[in-house]
Parts: sequence; structure tokens; C-alpha cells
Amino acid sequence: MDTATGIGGLALTQLLGGEGLMAATAGGLIQPGRLHHAAKAKRCIYIYLEGGPSQMDLYDPKPVLNQLDGQALPDSLTKNMRFAFLSKESARVMGSPRTFKKHGQCGMELSDLIPHIGSIADDICLIRSMHTDQFNHVPGQLLMNTGSAIAGRPSIGSWLGYGLGTAAKNLPDFVTLVAVGRGVPGGSASWSSGFLPSKYSGVLFRSEGAPVLNVESPSGVTDAMQHRSIEAVGELNGLRNQFIGDPEIESRISAYELAYRMQTAAPELMDLSGESKATLDMYGLDRNEPKIEGGNRGGVGLFGTFARNCLMARRLIERGVRVVKLFHASWDHHSRIDVELPHNCALVDQPIAALIKDLKQRGLLEDTLVVCGSEFGRTALGENRPGFKTVTGRDHHPNAFSLWLAGGGVKGGQIIGETDDIAWNVTKDPVHVHDLHATLLHLFGFDHTKLTYRFQGRDFRLTDVAGNVVQKIFT
Amino acid sequence: MRLSFSVPFIIRSAAFLTLAAVVHGKEPVDFGRDILPILSNNCLHCHGPDENERKGRLRLDTHEGALGAGKSGENAVVPGDLASSELILRVTSTYEDEVMPPHDVKEKLSATQIDLLKRWVEEGAKWGNHWAYQRPAPPSVPTVRGPAVEDVQPIDAFVRARLDRERIAPAPEADRRTLARRLSFDLVGLPPTADSVRAFVEDRRPDAYERYVDGLLASPHFGERWARHWLDLARYADSAGYLNDTPRPYAYLFRDWVINAINQDMPFDQFTIEQLAGDLLPNATLEQKIATGFHRNSLKNDEAGADKEEDRTKIAVDRTAVTGAVWLGLSVGCAECHTHKYDQITHQEFFQLYAFFNNTTDKELPAPQSAELADYVAKMSSWEKKHHALEEPLAAYLPSLLPDRLSEWEKATSFPTARWTVLKPKGVTFFTEDDETELTPAADHSIASRPGDPLKSRFVVEAQVTMRGVTAFRIEALADPGKFVGQSRRGDFALSEFSVMMQVAQGPQEKLPLASARADFASKTGSALEAIDGNLNTGWSVGPQVNESHTIVFDLKTPQDFPEGTRLFFEVVHYATGLFSRFRLSATTHLKPEATTLSDSILAILDLPSERRTQDQQLQLARHFAATADVEGKKLTQAISEHDGKKPAYPKTKAAVLTAEPRSTRIHVRGDFRNLGDSVEPNTLAVLHPFKPRTEKPDRLDLARWIVDPANPLTARVTVNYIWKHLFGRGIVATVEDYGTRGEPPSHPELLDYLATTFVRDGWSRKKLIREIVLSATYRQSSVPRPELMDRDPFNTLLARQNRVRLEAEVVRDAFLSSSDLLNRQVGGPSIYPPLPGFVTAVGRDKDWPATETDERYKRGLYIHLRRNIPYPMLLTFDAPDSSAACFQRERSNTPLQALTLLNDPVFYECSQKLGETLFAKGKDRESQIREGFESCMSREPSAAELKALISLYDDQLALAQGDNRAAMVATARVIMNLDEFITRE
Repeated sequence: MDTATGIGGLALTQLLGGEGLMAATAGGLIQPGRLHHAAKAKRCIYIYLEGGPSQMDLYDPKPVLNQLDGQALPDSLTKNMRFAFLSKESARVMGSPRTFKKHGQCGMELSDLIPHIGSIADDICLIRSMHTDQFNHVPGQLLMNTGSAIAGRPSIGSWLGYGLGTAAKNLPDFVTLVAVGRGVPGGSASWSSGFLPSKYSGVLFRSEGAPVLNVESPSGVTDAMQHRSIEAVGELNGLRNQFIGDPEIESRISAYELAYRMQTAAPELMDLSGESKATLDMYGLDRNEPKIEGGNRGGVGLFGTFARNCLMARRLIERGVRVVKLFHASWDHHSRIDVELPHNCALVDQPIAALIKDLKQRGLLEDTLVVCGSEFGRTALGENRPGFKTVTGRDHHPNAFSLWLAGGGVKGGQIIGETDDIAWNVTKDPVHVHDLHATLLHLFGFDHTKLTYRFQGRDFRLTDVAGNVVQKIFT
Repeated sequence: MRLSFSVPFIIRSAAFLTLAAVVHGKEPVDFGRDILPILSNNCLHCHGPDENERKGRLRLDTHEGALGAGKSGENAVVPGDLASSELILRVTSTYEDEVMPPHDVKEKLSATQIDLLKRWVEEGAKWGNHWAYQRPAPPSVPTVRGPAVEDVQPIDAFVRARLDRERIAPAPEADRRTLARRLSFDLVGLPPTADSVRAFVEDRRPDAYERYVDGLLASPHFGERWARHWLDLARYADSAGYLNDTPRPYAYLFRDWVINAINQDMPFDQFTIEQLAGDLLPNATLEQKIATGFHRNSLKNDEAGADKEEDRTKIAVDRTAVTGAVWLGLSVGCAECHTHKYDQITHQEFFQLYAFFNNTTDKELPAPQSAELADYVAKMSSWEKKHHALEEPLAAYLPSLLPDRLSEWEKATSFPTARWTVLKPKGVTFFTEDDETELTPAADHSIASRPGDPLKSRFVVEAQVTMRGVTAFRIEALADPGKFVGQSRRGDFALSEFSVMMQVAQGPQEKLPLASARADFASKTGSALEAIDGNLNTGWSVGPQVNESHTIVFDLKTPQDFPEGTRLFFEVVHYATGLFSRFRLSATTHLKPEATTLSDSILAILDLPSERRTQDQQLQLARHFAATADVEGKKLTQAISEHDGKKPAYPKTKAAVLTAEPRSTRIHVRGDFRNLGDSVEPNTLAVLHPFKPRTEKPDRLDLARWIVDPANPLTARVTVNYIWKHLFGRGIVATVEDYGTRGEPPSHPELLDYLATTFVRDGWSRKKLIREIVLSATYRQSSVPRPELMDRDPFNTLLARQNRVRLEAEVVRDAFLSSSDLLNRQVGGPSIYPPLPGFVTAVGRDKDWPATETDERYKRGLYIHLRRNIPYPMLLTFDAPDSSAACFQRERSNTPLQALTLLNDPVFYECSQKLGETLFAKGKDRESQIREGFESCMSREPSAAELKALISLYDDQLALAQGDNRAAMVATARVIMNLDEFITRE
């Protein structure tokens, strides 16, 4: 469908609201003047490391932890806290074996487990003062991905689609790639369109084989046969419409044409033969995966998959996809953190850094926002869950955790916020999940208080009734 | 909710229509219709019922408030006096610091709205209630112009009167083939067969239409069709959501209850009462309890480490909000954190409603289905037959061991010396983190845990014991045949701690010191001593010997006397791993008793001199000997115990229901369940009709009866509007879930009230209402869009035609299966798992998708297993709800992913293949095959141009398929089934 001239052929539903809030009669093209303000970001890649990576072992160095190792925390810190598993009466501080080093011109201190991310320190804005309301995975993930701990709300990518409108092309606007690991607890709720129309929903892709469900013709149906069939569908729908005159029929014809274009675009998307060896190596597609002692709940057999997903994210946004969400579910280290955290860091560190570098060298980082984070952090206390004979991990911790952003107007090489000596509470510049969301929308040109959708009599926002734009992130 | 249009647009368009009528018609201003929406949308956020948000001490949601003065001292509204009315001065002001709404608010008042406010003040500023809070009265039916006034049905009279006013003629009636298809999809959700269409078209009787309708209303598929609509509201799913997304394998009992109730045309008031409070009806039947499954569809967070009380309150909040939205059409949920910003629902009232659901506990009831019971009885009888067959050779063999071999064995064997007294529990209390339950021990004095009982729990068993010189206690951990000894995933348990308290008469409780412990067997990591080491994290366990019973013995430090009146309290603590499946307590007076699994009854026989034993006792002993120490006997008894393990299990089917459990309710300040405010009692909304509970302690039954009280202004309107929406694609009130002041006013208020009052008068009959609607000329109109009305009435609010709507997700699938004759038409039963590729099912934590391989996978779409974390992709692609919240209105999107699904998804391709092959197998010429295929799919013959296009398609595909006629016909059938018309109602 030619988006510039397709107005007459567009369905009524598309013209009136179906094309999103901002897009109007120009067939889905974004009208920059209709944003609330000028946008710095046009695309988003959101890397979601499910489970709650440990901030004090990765991003937020706390030498005091080792001094306090084995000691109890004062009541004042634990009194009003709820924990998923640990027994606060007998829990003790657990030190960290990690060493931290300064990276880049900015001198950002990062853990020895993420040297590659260290190499892009000057591009990233590290927030050490994130905090959330939720201490269980699913509510936490829902809050982080949809702005509410209650299921049924639209995810960030869906809000962006609703705000920016769809631009017809060969691929969906919002794509999710999952390196499954032990499974994403909330399933598709993290990329669902909630109460927004389902076309704003994230579409689940794979990075190998056929990228999306049903994108391959059934066996025995050749491309020529498929093409002839699509043509016939268009012709016959057109004949019918001469009697009916329903724009929905026009819309159906376009949908079939677009479907066929997706079918033909899919092999090209998946074909990596045009990627240089240097690129493939940079992402680490063929890295050797180290053996992990005693197995691992989510990180085994995924070194290649995750690297491929990162590369695919770049290829997707190059082809016009607006939001790509990358999930990896293996970061819930209640036990064996000193075995599992290094393994999972080795899995993601190189491909993530490669993605940033690759975007940058192609001039895409400027207006592509990259977010890397999770639903919460982990406790300074070792996890003494009943039944654990030894303490080797950390429990969920909502009060303080780290997350970083890059590109899309974000000012790199800076650290926002501070936490206390044990990364327990935020002591400077707290950033709530709602604040992060407000800032994301701001970067895309939206005032988060004005991007609303009425459902069951109420005007809903991504940021519920809260959220302040964190100016420091982009100025 | 999934709307096909952006909601703000609808509201604007409808407001335009009503405003236009007032402005141009110069009808008097109607407060409820014209003024309240303006106040509500523009003023009440700051000048409404919520005291905390109120600005300038002015409220405009009450008459006194509007007539009074705010902080400025000026009266907001002075009836008849524009110049003195501060409200008018403010809304017309050009000064930034004076104008209302404030200059920085995006939404401004339009000139039309300001004009209405002025005219309202001029006309005396009459106040009134919001229309939806006033009880509907049967309206008088208007007389409309037309050739045959006497034939005009009331529904048509209301619609035509409005069209007449707008000088628009209704659309002509659709042809019979279109009507046949429309009715069939609307009433049973399936395409009509070619034969039934032909019969209807050829039926010349004057009541042919009525007969066709009545046939569909009587079909068992009617219940399926309309149940699915209701299940959208019930947020029905087959799993619990959140991290574990725990399967709810018996949720289908509720789904089938809905299907049956609708098929039987259960009156809607009864339908309501049973779902909200079926358990509280006198002599409630199992079916009435199953009906309460409506609210068991709430999501439940059973993630380890979740706060259980938080989740319980969240569920009660969900039930309160859903009840308000589904039956009252009010966004009650908005008042969870604060008083409603626009509607008259206070924060306290939310918690009065919440109290009904707070006084409720979830429960599972055994609910074996008749087919399952029949199956169980049959399996049991064949099991018993085999059992007898295995017992016979043993019974014949055992006497041969008597007396010689038995006594040899007795002499040669050393038996445990200790004898035990089984303690009879007087009471058993089961403590979990958030629950305390009384348990009843079995007749053999053993105590069983229940499947799903949580870890971190303890049993406290009280027993009255009168014994002297007790040296030790024993726990038998019992494994039933074919069952595990413990509840862990591997069948193990861990006894974390065991202790005994003693109390004589009214004296103090004292702990009896335990010196040592030993077991007949212990796992490598859990010795017997770990049960008394004072560490909850360690305990006695028995893996891998989890298929057998085991025994642990605890020595007392010193022998104890228990005089008459002694009460012992045994505490059995499980903290990690798993609970005992079943256990029993005993005491002994022997010193250093052995930990053995030899049963007490055998020991008792052994204690008798052989000449004093009965023949039966001898045989029992012989059986024990045979089972443990005799080669031939072992063979025979092993076969029996193996067979015992295969004993058919009683059907596990359990219904999820509600039961009453009083709790006290306090307001959650700002919606936070840990921040409790004032106490409240169960009560209803003051803005609606009076509440007349049966007793001083109102319960859900009182609430349910209040909801279906004919004095309720909302429930009947809300319900008829849903039904209307399903038959026209749009409600008379377009915001079907919001009848508050921010909702859209009805397009045809009198029609809505006519339908609502008729519905109640006719005994809340769904079928009668649907029948009356589908018999109307309004329903029968052609749906062909009318270009001349596109600008005036873009959403067909005036009903100058029918609407052309795409079929719902499930019905799209049903149409494919039905037209290819693959459909399995069986009604009801457990949900099915049509096959899915692994990468789709693997994203959630529960990756198990046991694909249905039988022809049950061709059952209708509403039977597909709905897993909240992995919604069935095809259903979601076609806008079925994901069951995370009640869905009041499905969207009707039109996307490339839908095209890919219908073209390439294996099930849909299979349908094309089946249809193509069936047509091909008839052996007729290609044109006849194509004609027949087209007619069976579209309920009409193809036009000449369509036929030509299809033949040309066929010929091209034939060439591409190297002359394979079958493949060409499959390709042609596939195109027919991918046409817009095939997945559209007409």
C-alpha cells in the first residue's frame, strides 16, 4: 500500500482513531507538529533482563559491603520491608567478590563482570537510583513494562504505537524477541496492548527460521501460487466491494497485500549473509559457551540466541520497526549468585555492547533509545530462605536498583543518583519507574500526562497518576 | 475494552448529534442530557464529590453547591440571572487568571457548550439527576409516518421516529440469504448450511422468518454463542495468571454452567443471583454453587514469596469493580483509592461494596461429572475383577504355609520387642502462614495433608493420653498404594522439627525433652536427628524411598507418667521440601524401641501363642510371611500390591466456588491494604435505589437481589444494551461499560427504556428479548453502507441500516471448521489444546502444552484452553480478550497478521484442503465444484464476474501445480475462505 496516496483506500476505522492518536489522514505518517514537543528518539530497543540482576555486583560498587559481611542490619532498615523469601530476623549482610574499575572518559565504575559494557560507558547514562513498589516478579515486571502492577494495561511499546500511529511497511511496528531461559513469568503481558487495540501489541518474533508465526506458506504452496492467491483475494474482494462499498473491505485487501510483503520480507530479514564477519564476531554469534557447573536455570544454550537477538534488533529497526523488546529470563539469583551471575553476564555483555557500537557506527544510535534493565534489584542481605543450608544468593529488592539508557537523546557518560553504603536505599535523585516512563515518553515527543486513553470511564496513562520527567537524563 | 473507534471521537460525535437537536430544535435544555455531561467532563474534577481535590470550596455536583458561593463569595449560579452567575462569567471570561476551565487546561468549552450553560441558567437552572440513576418507565410508543402504521413494532417505532425527525428513510430489508447468514451467526455463531439457507429462502409460509429464528433459538449452539459473550465479562480463563499461571483445569465447569443456563433461558435475575450468591441460596445445589465460579475467574498471584493478604484483598477489589461494571455499568473501581471524581460513588461506598466480597472465601468442591462417574464405576469394577483374580491364587496358597512353614519362620525371625499404642487425636489444627484450619483425622487415627497445602506449615495434634512410664513416641509416615509418602515434587517430605508439650489438668504446658531419634530409613541429607536439632532448615527425609511407608521414633529423656486428664500437644513442623502425605502418632513404654515398619496388627498376632490365634489371624500372619520372606508368596503378593497401585482414582474434578466467611472490613486509605481507615459494613450505593437486606448482616445474596431489584435503574438497561450491541455491533449506549456522567448518553433513550422495562416485565428472558429484536425491521435492514449518510452519521448511530461486522475470533475459526465439515459440534467439556509451535508456548514459565490429538481439537473456538500468559495466538490476533480484565467491547481490527493466520496457519490451511478435496472428490466439472464451494461458504451463489475470477484462478493454479486438479481446487477453496465476506457476518 502506498501510504502517501492510500487515503481513499483506507478503512474508516483506520482514518478515525485506528491509526493512533497522532497520525491523521496522511495514511499513518507521523506528523511531527502533532507531537507535544520535538522528539529526540524515534525508535526504541528495550533489553529486559528478567529476574532482577544484582546492582551491587554489577553497577553500584559498595566496598562497605565486604566490611559488613556477616553482620545484621539495624532494625530501622528492615522494619517496614517486605521480602519474597529471606527471614529478616536472622539475615546477614553478604559481601561481594566483584572488583570495580573506571571506564571511559567519564570514569564510570563498573564491575569486572561487564567489561564490554564498560567499553561503551561514555555512551550510557547509568541510573543507580531506580526504585519500584513491587517485590515479586510478575507485579514488578508489569509495573516496569506497563506502568501498573495490575495485568491488562498496555505495554510501553503499545503506548508508543498508539501515540505515534502506525506507518505501513513490511514488518510490525513492535516486535518482541525472547531468549527464553527459564520463561518470562508474566508471559505476553509484558508486550501486550492491554486495553489498547490489539494492533499495538508486540508481535513475538524468533531470530531463527521463520521469524513470525504463519509467515511461511504451507508446504506445497509455492511463492507463485501464493502470489496468485493473494491477487485473487484482492480481485474478488474488490468485486464484492463494488456492491457493498465498505472501506473495511479495502482495508482487508491492503492487509493481504501487506501480509504477502511480510512473507517476502521475512527471508531477507533473516538472511545474515550480508553481515560482515567482523559484525558477527562483534556480537559473538559463534562464541563458545562456557560450561556452567551444576547447570543453570536460564542461561544454558543461549549464548548464540541472545547474540543473534541483539543483531536482529538492529536489523529490525533498520527495516522500520519502531520498538524492539529483547527478553532474557535468567537473572533471579537467590542462590549460587557467584556462579550464575558471571555466566549470565558473559552471555549478554558482549552482544549488548556490540549492539550499541553497531548502532553508533551506522548513525542509528542518535535517535534510537536503548534501555537495559529489570524489574528490581537484589538485597545486600544474603538470602537465608528456610530450607537453604547455605547462603549463596540475594533476595528481591525494590528500594534501589540500577538501569541504564543510551542513544535517543540520552546524555551518555553520566551517572544519575546515589544509594547508601549497601545499595539499600536511594540517597540522591531517586527515579521511580513512573519517572523513567515519563522520561521515555518525553524523549519520544510526548507529555506523559497528555498521552491518555479512555477505558471504563477513566483516562489512563502509562504513568498512572505519577511520574516526573528526569531532565538530567537528556540535558 | 477494545473499541473499533477511538472513544473520544464517539463521544464527540454523539454529543454533536444531541447538541444539534437541542440547539437547532430549540427544545428546552435538559439538565441530565445537556448540562451534566458538560459539568462532569469539564468541572467536576476540581469541583466534584471528592473533597480532597476540591478547589475554591465550590462543588458543582449538587444543586446546593451550584447555587451557593465558593471561596470567592460569588454565587456560582443564580437562576434566571446570567449577569450574577459567577459560573457564566468565568466560562466566558477572557482573563487568564479568571477563565474556567483554567487557561492551562487542554480541553476548552465549545461555543455550543457555553451557549447551553447560558440557556440553562436563563431557563431557571433546573437541576436533575443523571439519566441513568433514574428508574426507567415504560415509554409510550411513538406513532410514525408510513404506509402501514399498525404493523410497526415498538422497536421500529422508536428508531423510525428518530429517523423521521432527521428526515432519513430506513434501509430496505436485506434479502433472505443475507438474513439467514446474519441470524445464524448472531444466534448460534455458526454459518448456516447451504441446505438450511435454501429451505429458508424457499419457505413461502408467512411466518417463515419466525420459524427460522425459533429453530436457532432452540439450538444447543445458541448457549455456546451467547455464553462466550458473557465469558468476556467474566474474564474467564483456564489459568490463574501471574508467574506460575497455575492451570485451572476445572474452570470449564463454570463455562458449561453458563452455556446450560443460557440454553435453558434461565431468567437473567436468577442468572445473576446464582453467580453472585448461589452458595447462599437455601439448599443450594452443586450447580448453583458452580455458578459462583464467575468471581473465581479473578487472577491469583501464587508466586512464592508473594504477600497473600495483599493478593486476597486485590482479588476482592477486582470482584467489587467487576460487579459494578458488569451489572451496574459504573466505574465503581475508580473509587478504590479516593472518592469518584465524576460519579456519586464515595471511597467509603466502594469499601461497603468491597465488604460483601471481603466476607467471602474461595473453596473447591468435589464435582465429578456424570460421564466421569460412569467411567470411574466402570474402571473400578474391572479393577475389582482383576483384584479378585489375583487374590484367589494367594488365598489358595496361604493355607499351604500353615502351620509348619509359618512357625519355622516365626522361630527363626527376631521381631521388634516394642509394642505401640496408637494415639487418638482429639483435635488437629493445621497452621499455614495465613490460615488456620481444623482437620479431621481418619478412622485409623491418621492425619492427611491436602494436595497443594503450602510449605511452612505445622500440624498441632492434641491427644488425651493416660499411660504410665512412656519412653518414646513414634510417627508413622504412611504411603498409600501407588502414592508417595510425601508431598514434594519428588514424593519426599522433610520433618523439620518435632516436639511434644504436656499439660496436666489446668496446669501449665511443659515441653517434654527428647533425647534421641532414629528412623527405619533416612535420606543421605536428612537424618532422623535433624528433626529434633532445633533448626527449621534441616529435617528428616526419606528420598529416594518415597513409595514406601517409614517410621521415626523419638526417645524421651526420662520415662513419663501421664495421669488421667493429661493432654499432649504434638507439633509437627514442615518448613522446606514437603509435607507428610499421611501420618499417625503412637507411644510406647518399651525402652529403646526399634524404628520398624512392621504393622502393629501383625505384632499383636505375633504376641498371641499360635494355639490361641484364630484361623483368620493365622492367615493374616501367613500373608505377611508370604509377602516378606517367601519366594512364591512374594510373587503372588507383589502382583496384588502392584495392582493396588493401579486402583482407579475417584474423579478429581473440583468446582471453584465462593463461600461465606465473615471478616471485618476497613477502608484502605488511598487504596493501600496496609493502611487501614474506618470500619465499614456491607452496603450499597446511596445514589441508587434503597437496599433492603434480609438481616442486619447483609451478605452477597442481599447484594445480588438488590442488583436485580426492578427498582434498580441500571441493571436491566445495561443488560439489554449488551444484547443489542451483539446484534448491531454497537450499543444504544456506546460506552457499554460506563453509564456514569462521563459515559455517552443513549442514542435512543426511549428505546433503551422500552427494552429494559419489557425485559423485566417478560421475566428477564434473554431469548424473548433477542427474538423481539431480531424480528424487528430495524434488525432486518440491509447493512450496505449509505454514502449519503457517511458525514451526517459516520457511526450509524441513528440505525438507518444494519452494520457489517467482522466475526469474532472464535467464530472465524468455527466458520472455517464448519464450512470444511471438520467441526466437532460436541457441546461442553474440558478445554482443548489445539497444537501450537513450541516457540510460542515456551515464553511463559509453564511451557507444557499437551496438544489435543483427537478430533476434539476441532471443537469450537470457545473451548480452546485460555492460558493467561500464553493466549492462543489466533484468538488474540482476532481481538479475543486476554482475560486479564473484564472485556466489555471487543475491537474489530483488520491486520496483516490476520491475513497470515487465515492463509498459512496449519488449522486454517487444513480447512481449505478439506473443502477443496471434498469438492474435488465429487468429480463434477470445475465450474460446478467452484459454485458449490462458494455457495457453501457464503450462503449465496457467486456472481458471473466472481465465478469468472475463480475459474481463472483455478486454471492458473492448475498450471502452477503441474496439472494437479486436487491442488488447484484446494488453492481455490483457500481463496474463497480468505475473502472478506467469509469472515464477515454478511
